[in-house]
Parts: sequence; structure tokens; C-alpha cells
Amino acid sequence: MISEDLSLLLPEIVLAVYAMAALMYGVYTGKDRTMPLLTWVTAAVFAALAFWIGITGPGTHTAFNGMFIDDGFSRFVKVTVLLSGAAVLVMAQDYMVRRGLARFEYPVLVALAVVGMMVMVSAGDLMSLYMGLELQSLALYVVASLRRDSAKSTEAGLKYFVLGALSSGILLYGASLTYGFAGTTEFKGILSTIHGGHMSLGLLFGLVFLISGLAFKISAVPFHMWTPDVYEGAPTPVTAFFATAPKVAAMSLIARLLFDAFGTAPADWSQILAVLAVLSMFLGAFGAIGQTDIKRLMAYSSIAHMGYALVGLSSGTQFGVESMLMYMVIYATTNVGVFAFILSMERDGRQITDLASLNNFAAKEPLKALAILILMFSLAGVPPTVGFFAKFYVLRAAIEANMTWLAVLAVISSVIGAYYYLRIVYYMYFGQETEGLDTGTMNIVPWIMLMGTAVIMLVGIVNLFGVEGLAHAAAATLVP
Amino acid sequence: MPLALIAALPFLGALLPGLMARAGRNTAALVTGAVTALALLGLVLHAPAVIGGQVLHQHIAWVPQIGLNADFFLDGLGFLFALLILGIGLLIVIYARFYLDPSENTGEFFTYLLLFQGAMLGIVLTDNVLMLLVFWELTSLSSFLLIGFWKHLAEGRQGARMALTVTGMGGLSMIAGMLILGHIVGSYDISTILQHAEEIQASPLFLPAMILVLVGAFAKSAQFPFHFWLPHAMAAPTPVSAYLHSATMVKAGLFLMARLWPVFAGRPEWFYVVSTVGLVTMVMAAKIALFKDDLKALLAYSTVSHLGLITFLFGLGTKAGAIAGVFHIINHATFKAALFMTAGIVDHETHTRDAKRLGGLMTLMPITFTIATVAGLSMAGIPPFNGFLSKEMMLEAAAHTGWWGLDWIVPLGATVGALFSVAYALRYVAHVFLGPVRDDYPTQPHDPVPGMWISPAILATLVILIGLFPMTMAGWLVTAAASAVTGAEVHPHIVLWHGITPALWMSVIAIAGGALLLALHAPLNRLWEATPKPHAKAMFDAVIDWAARGARGLTQGLHNGAISRYLAIFSVVVLVAGVWAFFTGAYSPGTRPMTPLEPVPVIAWFALMAATVAVVRYHHNRLLALVLVGIIGLMVSIAFVYLSAPDLALTQISVEVVTVMLLLLALNFLPKDSPRESSAPRKTRDAVIAIASGLGLGGLIYALMTRDFAYPTISDWHMAHSKAEAGGENVVNVIIVDFRGYDTFGEITVLGIAALAIYALTDALLRGPANARLRGWVPDLKRAGDRHPLMLVVATRVMMPIAVLVGAFIYLRGHNEPGGGFVAGLVIAIALLMQYMASGFAWAHLRQRANYQNLIGFGVLLAAATGIGAFFNGRPFLTSDFGHFYLPWHLGEFELATAMGFDAGVFLTVVGAVMLALASLSLIARRAGETVNQTPMSTDPSKAKTPEEKANALDEAAAEPHDDASEEH
Repeated sequence: MISEDLSLLLPEIVLAVYAMAALMYGVYTGKDRTMPLLTWVTAAVFAALAFWIGITGPGTHTAFNGMFIDDGFSRFVKVTVLLSGAAVLVMAQDYMVRRGLARFEYPVLVALAVVGMMVMVSAGDLMSLYMGLELQSLALYVVASLRRDSAKSTEAGLKYFVLGALSSGILLYGASLTYGFAGTTEFKGILSTIHGGHMSLGLLFGLVFLISGLAFKISAVPFHMWTPDVYEGAPTPVTAFFATAPKVAAMSLIARLLFDAFGTAPADWSQILAVLAVLSMFLGAFGAIGQTDIKRLMAYSSIAHMGYALVGLSSGTQFGVESMLMYMVIYATTNVGVFAFILSMERDGRQITDLASLNNFAAKEPLKALAILILMFSLAGVPPTVGFFAKFYVLRAAIEANMTWLAVLAVISSVIGAYYYLRIVYYMYFGQETEGLDTGTMNIVPWIMLMGTAVIMLVGIVNLFGVEGLAHAAAATLVP
Repeated sequence: MPLALIAALPFLGALLPGLMARAGRNTAALVTGAVTALALLGLVLHAPAVIGGQVLHQHIAWVPQIGLNADFFLDGLGFLFALLILGIGLLIVIYARFYLDPSENTGEFFTYLLLFQGAMLGIVLTDNVLMLLVFWELTSLSSFLLIGFWKHLAEGRQGARMALTVTGMGGLSMIAGMLILGHIVGSYDISTILQHAEEIQASPLFLPAMILVLVGAFAKSAQFPFHFWLPHAMAAPTPVSAYLHSATMVKAGLFLMARLWPVFAGRPEWFYVVSTVGLVTMVMAAKIALFKDDLKALLAYSTVSHLGLITFLFGLGTKAGAIAGVFHIINHATFKAALFMTAGIVDHETHTRDAKRLGGLMTLMPITFTIATVAGLSMAGIPPFNGFLSKEMMLEAAAHTGWWGLDWIVPLGATVGALFSVAYALRYVAHVFLGPVRDDYPTQPHDPVPGMWISPAILATLVILIGLFPMTMAGWLVTAAASAVTGAEVHPHIVLWHGITPALWMSVIAIAGGALLLALHAPLNRLWEATPKPHAKAMFDAVIDWAARGARGLTQGLHNGAISRYLAIFSVVVLVAGVWAFFTGAYSPGTRPMTPLEPVPVIAWFALMAATVAVVRYHHNRLLALVLVGIIGLMVSIAFVYLSAPDLALTQISVEVVTVMLLLLALNFLPKDSPRESSAPRKTRDAVIAIASGLGLGGLIYALMTRDFAYPTISDWHMAHSKAEAGGENVVNVIIVDFRGYDTFGEITVLGIAALAIYALTDALLRGPANARLRGWVPDLKRAGDRHPLMLVVATRVMMPIAVLVGAFIYLRGHNEPGGGFVAGLVIAIALLMQYMASGFAWAHLRQRANYQNLIGFGVLLAAATGIGAFFNGRPFLTSDFGHFYLPWHLGEFELATAMGFDAGVFLTVVGAVMLALASLSLIARRAGETVNQTPMSTDPSKAKTPEEKANALDEAAAEPHDDASEEH
């Protein structure tokens, strides 16, 4: 019984044990000198686990009396999280060494955060949900302030921690209310107390607070306030990580919670999500316009993108979940490429994130500029890039759920949002002759990530590499 | 040739010129021309079938799951546009070869051109809404590259950006409309959508869909109020202007209107929106065109005007209108491309496009003059050129159209538009070519090489031929295209002379008036320049600027970096969410009766409230705040006692004491007051938020407590099983050490880690800059002369053994009575803490024997060992076992449970953790210079004689000399 349960959790256990072993290895051998090695090994472990989970046969299994669910949905998300985590790790390794950030704790903390994410998406109970979420969050609080000697980084970490603690408090409050009114913390049990498509007032309160707490994690407006500061303040590799795996995991967690625990009353939560989505899309789009720092700009961009993913989710349908999954996968892939580039931005050997430094970049590095152009178009959702499909998926989900107004608002905001992505392209291709970036500073790994994602964004339009089939199957396990 | 291949050819071919850039511009042009010609050939092969009324389909599955298919179809309309795109494209390639300077990157240019051509072909051939959108946006992007091709011109860059912004955003608006259409019909195939006109027109979403699609089409076709981008796109090289603004880019919007004509046309909304916008655009742009001196600007506005004309025709929603519109598309493409090319030739040869600096070129450039005149007269609508025919048809249609009950307004508008059109067309010919030969041309003009004039010449020939033999030359094309637009067979009959009709009179008025206007151009121009005009580009820039500033204001307002603001927003939002939930949810009154109100809890409750308010009020005084927090803790403990939870009360009060004492010790190193930073309004704001949140929370808890749970609570189970399964009567303790032993095990580990972290942080702190600060630290208040009051010292030392005994007692009774390892640990820790407090850190440190780190480690290990012990009993981790033993000498029955071992681990960890935290504080204190008292008092004020000496003595006490740092480690 126990051993069956444990065998279902084996990937998580392996990763957790690995993280602890890596920590010990780092502490008792070369400390920070082991960082490159640990980074690569961690990434390899991620990739191996992703492969392992990926080839796991179909079917839904639960462990520990339903506290842990292993189904197609969780496997899909786990593979995404692991792969994007691995990509972000390896592409930043060189950067961290050069910038004196090579702390061996970094890969270990990332591994722990990923364990948390894996538990999150498999949660079948408010308890395991919270456990996974906090494991992830605690690791993220620390990595946000990884650069201890920088006031900005520590400030970012502190802000993230304080606000994160508040949001966790709200989440817990929601969980306790839910427990108080439903009498159980198990998703299935909560679902069984909802009758006739509408929940009691107490449950509704619980739901509202649960969503509020989780909205913080995906930086949905109005719980997004930490995002620009943390994105800007944290070291760039950490920002890259923040922008990818945790977002995917938290978004999936929301889907998991809403469908598994409140799935029979979608009318109640889809309104909340729709409001969050609209606010996020518009604030993300407007907020980015005035930014001059590319990391801050990416923060607003991610806020807006979470809005689009929420559009898909708020439809409350199976296709909505599928569209959300597709959106997140495409979003994470694009961001890996963009951040691979941001990591390489430097002038006179010093890191620079000023947008104006991109001026006339195309003349110096046409290939890289082209790749960024493709990625920016993809982020803006301009066809014929894969990013367009992401937007199209969620729009269709909204329209099919008779939320045409939401789809129209999404389009309007994406029109506004396109402005600032195109502004980057404009700078690169038609900018004035100013002091630009150093050329040829890119290491091979980020280069591969940048070019690879750009190619994916273009070639992917042929058949999306078949991911949509997998997402469809994954969504089908969550929403039968 | 398959349709998909025709559409794909330019894309495939786009690679070639770029790759062959080194081979020279001839090769690049040749390759581009060959690719275009090949596609054209493929298209023409389909001509017989399409003219015969067939619709060709090609189906390729793409991502069928989301309704995406790479379907193509070709009907009359598509054929017409494809023919224009490829035919004029071919001429443009030839022209561009000679127009572009050899020093320019022709390979890049032709690559962009082919990309653009492919995108345009895609638009007109695709059968899928999404593919349409893909190609639509591709034209925006590739035209962006083409318009900005001359990167050295700031004007070109800005024009390109504006074109991209306007058309790109219009495209996104269009997709929203198209998605709605697809949603109504249930298919994203254009051909399917076209067959469901009634369904769409009946839908409540008809109007939003139509508006959204039209915004996209208007933006692309530069219709009012989106017309402003087109003239600024004229900074492009002339071949680009000629291509984009005659046959392709701007016609895409018209194509969309024509394509969706069967769906929308016939509804009054369509008529009022489309034909009005078209008419306004036609008149307004024609008027502006008349006063533009830059030849390309003149042509640009004339393009806008003619696009307005076609829009107007489609907006009428009649078959005649559609036929006229289709025909004018052909005519406009031919004469406008030719005119642009001649403007380019003039620019190329004279190095200026300013009409004021030109004139008299007729004799110098006879070939160019001839071509320009033919095309210009056609644009003016003068017989026998093709422009006359379609303009007559337009006037004919306008003459029979009423607008909102007014019969004269449309004919008048159409006539005025035509009149201006005559004026500027004639002006183009007159002011450039006629008049005296000047001697101040920037260079000596002469006709260009044949390669440059051959393309416009071909077009001019077409202009004449279509004008003379409309049915032979274009009748079949118009028939096929108009049938496709209207979705029904039409048989237009176009002739040069159709009798004396109102349209003819309107035409005559227009020509005469236009000639008059031209004659009066000089005074009118002065008047025009004197009148203030809204400048569209300035307005566009202002809007962008305004948006940017607004966005910046928004972000600075929301994200000013202050965490207090973030927290405020966070709280308000959660509060609002709560209120929303309350008003949307189904409220039902509580099911449990209220418990009776008794005086004691009411008093305690008020005391609690008062203390809470007082903390908020006096929190600037740290000592006072601490005292008040202590009171709150005490009240909470009392509440636990009152509500029959002695365990919780015990724990609460001991935790309270430890915390307050630790904080008290820490206060030594902090200023006595905290800074005052908030302004009064801010405090009010925060107070409102806090009170509202508190009331909300209280209300929720009240609601929770007045209702029954959906499932029975877990308490009963614990009550029933505590004695039987774990041998303890104290349920709380059993939960801690047995039922939830795992949790406790985790908690003590965390507690230990926290203490270690405090220690490590302090240690690290003391190695950094804080060390220097501490060494030079001067307390902000004078120290009392009597640092360690004798009474307190004596009392604590006497109490120490008693406290230890109490701790042991509490520990031992824990399993059955209130108490346990946790509380016991705290009690002992309090006793030890008191020693520090009474006798000073340094003194206590000297007497510290135990290593607290080891204590913590031992405690955790002991707990773990007890837990593992359960394995030997064949039970899961941490399951306790117990037995009853009889003590000798009749001391009675005694129960021993393995949980006691676990509890001992808890005990040790708690003591170790508290003491380690204290040790950290002590480390700081000793670094700040605290020493052990040698005498009961450091100085004795009583021995001083005068008040001054007394004061001095106290000062000395405060500035006590620092001992050396030898005892730091």
C-alpha cells in the first residue's frame, strides 16, 4: 500500500533526494566551484525525469488516499516544467560564473522548487497543494535574492517574500474556510458538497481567497505588484526561471484546483478568472509601454500573458484547459529564447538591460536580431509564428464558451501589447546610431537556445510538433 | 499548377535573391521576375475554368484539431486580384531593376518584395479565416520592411512604423471579427462562411463582427479615419509605392470587403457605415491631394480618394455598385501604377518630386509625358480612357442613392469628389510637364532607359485599350469577379457611350469644375496654406505619446516600489473579492444557536480590544508596544483557559513569556522609538483598510462558527482513540506525539533549523560592517547605575532549581494531563532566560556549559530514534507503544509510553532552540562591550558628594570602558 503510493511519487522522491545529495556534495567538496558541474547534472536529472515521466504509460493513479494524483494532465505539466527548468539552468550557467553568481545552492534550490512544482500539479488535496506551493515558493524567495551584495536583488527577495507570505496567508485562509464549510480538504470531497452547480456562501469565500492566493503566484492583476520589481531586481537567470517553470506550474495548479474541487460550479469561478484575465491583459499591455528596461518590460509582458492563459481557463471547458496548456508551453518556450538573449546583453563587459542599447542591433548581428524579431512577433501573437496559435487557442476557447466579450477584449489588449514588442524590433532595425551592445558575447548554450526557440516559433506552425495532441489528451484527463 | 504552389512560389523564391545578392542586381531581378512569371503562368492556366464560373478548391489538412486547414480556393474575385498582384508585380520587378541604384542591396529588396507578393497572394487565395489573417499580418510586416528599405531616411522609418502600427492593429481587430463570424457559422472556412449569410445577418453578434472586420479593412485600405498612414508610407522607394498603393497592399482591405460582401451587404448598417466612410474619404482625400506639391504625396492622397470611391461602391450593397467597384479596382491599378512609376522616373531623372520646382518637362521627357498624360487623364475620368468608364458607373450609382432620406447628398458628394479628382489629375500633368522649360532643374532631365519606361508604357496601353474596348479587354474579368463578389451571376455591359444620363452631366460638371479649380490653383493654394489643418501624423504621434505617458503614469502610480502600497492594494483587492463573494453567493442563516453572553468573557474581550487598539496607537514606543503585546497574549491564554483548553493556554502563555523576554533583550540594541514616516491621510487610509479587513474576517469566522460542518469533525475520533491506541488521556499531547507525530517531528526540526539560522546570521553579521558599528555603539539612553538589580539576581537564582523541577513535572504528566515536552522545554528556557536577564549576557555566558547546537541535534535525533523504534515493533514510523508498570514501594501504577522519548526530544530541541537564539543576542551584546560586573554595582552613586559628581558618576557608568574582546569566543 505505502510502497505503491511511494512508487507513484518516485520521480518527486528521486529529485528531492538528488537535491539533498547535491547540497551535501556542494557543501563538503568544492562549494561554489562545483556550481557548473551541479548545474549540468541538475539539468540532466531534470531531462531524465522528464523523459521518464513522458514515457510513463497512460492512466490515472492516485496515492495517499487521493492526496496525490498522477494523471495525463500532471505528467504533461511536469514534463514542461522540467524541460524549461533544465533549459533555463544550462543557458545561465556561463552567465552566473562570469558575473560572480556561481553559487552551488542555485541549482539545488531550483531542483527543490521544481519538486514543489511537481507536487503542486499533482495535488489532490488542499494539504498537498499547500505543501508543494510552499516548497516552491520558499526556494524562489531565496533565489530571488541570490545576489546578496546587491541592494536591488535583496529588496526584490524581501518584497517577494513579504507579499508571498501574505498571499500564502490568504490562500491558507481560503483553504481553512473551504475546509470549514466542506468539512474536508480533499478535492473530490469538496466537489461532492457542491450541489446543483452553485456553491454555498462559505465555499464561495473559500474559493475566492484560494484564487486570490494563487493569483499572486501567477502574477495576475491585481496581485501582480511584486512582478516588475522582482523581475528587475533578481539576477537575470533567476528572472528567466521565474518567467517560465513556476508560471506553468502555478497556472496548472489553478486548473487542477478549480476543476477537481470546484468543477461542477464553473459559473462561479469563471467570472473571477475572467476579471483577473482582463485586468492582467490590459495592465500588462499598458504597463509595458513606458518601460525602458527590458527585464521590467518582460515582467509586464508575463503579466499580460498570464491574462491570456486565464482567458482560456476561464472558459471552464476541456478545450479551455487545452488552450491554457498550449499557451503556457508556447509562452515558456518563447521566454527561454528571449531570456537567453537578455543574458547575453552587455556593453564593455558589463551587463546592460536598457532597451535603448538595442538600437541598430540588426546591423551588427543580423542573425540574432532576426531571431529576436521572430520571438517578439511570437510574443505579440503575430502570425505566422507559433505565438499566434497560442493566442488563437485561447480566443477560440473563450468564443466557444460564449464569452465573446472576453475574446474581443483579449484581442484589443493584444493590439495594444503588440506595440511594445514591435518597439523592440523597431529599435533593432531602425534605431539610431548610439552606443549599442557588445557583439559576439554570446556563449554557445544561450545561442542554441535563442536560435532553437526562434526556429521552433517558425517551424512549429506546420503542426505544432504534435504538442496539441498531447495537450488535448492531458486536458481530457482533467476535464472528462 | 496547384493553388497552394502558386501561393508558395513567391515564398520559396524569396530565398533566391537574398542568396544571390553577390551575383548582382541583374541576377536578383531576373530570379524575382522568373518566380513571378512562373506563378503568373500557373494562375493563367486556371483562367478558362475560373472565367467559366468554376470555383477551384484545394484542401490540405494543417492543424485540423483547432479548425486550421491550409485550404485554398480560386474564384473570379481571387483570380482578379491574383492577376493584378502577379501581373503588376512583374512590371514592378522590371522597373525596380532600373530604378534602384547599383550601390543598394537589391537582393534584400527583392526578397522583401517576393515575401510581400506571397503574402498578398495568400490573402486572395486562401479559404481559411486564420490563414487569411496570417497572410494579412505578413503583408503588414513585409511592407514594413519595404517601406523602411531606405533606412537612412528618418521619414522612411517613421512611415514604416506608422504603417505597421495602423495596419497591424487593424488586422488584429479583423481576426476578432472573423472569429465571431466563424463562431456563428461553426466553420472557419471562408467559402462556408459565405454560404451562411442569412444565419450571420440574423445573429445578435452581426454588428460587432461587421465593425471589427471593417476596422481591419479600413485600416488596411487607408479609409477615414485611418487614412493618415498611407501618405507617410511614401518615403518608400517608388517601385514599392507603385506596387503597394496601386495593386496590392491597400487593395487588401477592398478585397476583404468584396469577399465578405455577400455576408454583410444589403443590411442598412453596412450601407451607412461603409458607403459613408467611402464617400467622406473620397472627397476629403481628393481635396488634400490637390494641394500637395510632392508628387508622391499627391498620388498618395489620390489613392486614398480612389480607395474611398471603391469602398463607397461596395458600401451601396447593390449589384451595380459591386460591378462598378470591381471594374474600378482594375482601372485604378493600371493607371495608378503607371502614374507612380512616372513620378518615380521624374524623381529619378530630375532629383526632385516637388511640383513647384518642375514644369516644362514635356519636350525634355516626351515618352514619360505621354505615359503620364494617358494615365493622368484616365485618373481624371476623361474619355476615352478606362477611368472614365468606371467613374461614370460610380456617378450613375450615386445619382440613384439616397442617404437618410436626403436624395441630393450622395450625388453631390460624388460630384465634388470627382471634381477634385479631375483637378489634381490635371494638375499632375500640367504642373510637371506643361509650361515653360525651366533652367533650374537639379539635374538635366531626359527620358530614362527603356527598361524604366517599358512597364508604365504597358500599363498606359492597357488604360487606352480597356477604355476603348471595355468588354473585350476586361468584360470577362469583371463578369467573373463581380459574379464571385455578389455570389450570383451578373452580366455587366460596359460601353463608352451610354446616352445622356444624370451621370454624364455630373461628369461634365466635374471636368469643367476641375479645370476651373486648376486654373485658380495659385490663389486657392494660398488660401489652403493659410487655413489651419489637423495634422494626422502629429495627432498620431500625440496619441502614441499620450498613451505612453498614461502608461507610465499608471505604472508609476501602481508600482512605485513601495511595499506598503502593494500591501494596501493587495488587502483592498481581497476585501473587494470578499464583498463580491458575499453579494453573489447564496446566504443562509447559521444553524447553531448562540451561546449565552457572560460577563467575564465580555470583559476579557474588551480588554483584548483595548490592548489591540493601544498597540496600534502607541507602537512607536517599542517598550510600551511590547508590554501591550504581552497583554494581548495573556488575554488569549485566558480565553483558552476559559474555553477549556488548558494545554493551549499553557503553551500560549509560555510561548508568550519567552517571546516577550527575547524581544525585551533585543530591545537593548534598538532605539526606543520607531521612526514616524506615515502622513495623517495615509494613516487614515490604512486604518480604514485594516478595520474593514478585520470586520470582514470577524464576520467570516462568526459565520463559520454558527454553522455545522458538512462532514463530522475529527475531534470525536481523537477522543475515542486517544486512550485506547496511544495510552494517553490528554488528547492534545497524544496528537502532538503520536497521531500527528510526524508533524511535530517536522516542526522541531524546523525550530532547530531556525535557531541555527539565527545563530549563523548573527555570526555572519558580526563579521561584516555591523561589527564596527557595534564596537562603537553608544546606547541612546544612560544606563542605570545598577545594571543588575540585586533582588532580581537573587530571586532568579533561587527560582532556578524550582523552575527546573516544575519543568520536569510538566514533562512527566504530559501524556495524561495538560503539559508535555514542548511546554516543559519552554518553562526551563524561561528559567534560563531569566538568568541572562538578571545577571547579564556576559555573566551567563561564562556559566554556559551545554552546547546548544548539540542539544538541538540530540533532541531531533532522540525523537527520530523513538520514531524508528516503532519499526521494531512492526508498526509504522512514530507509532507509540505503551505499557503500565508498577513501581515498587507501593508508589502506584506508572505508565510508560515510547512517546515519552519522543517528547524528550521535543523538550531538548525547544530548550536548545530558545537558548541558541538567546546566545545569538548575547553574542551581539558582548560585542557591543558588555562585561561582567565585578561589584554589585558598576558605580556607586551614593559615594559621590555633590550633585555634579553624582551626575558624572552616572555618565561614567554609561560610558563604561570596554573590556577587551577576548571573551567573544
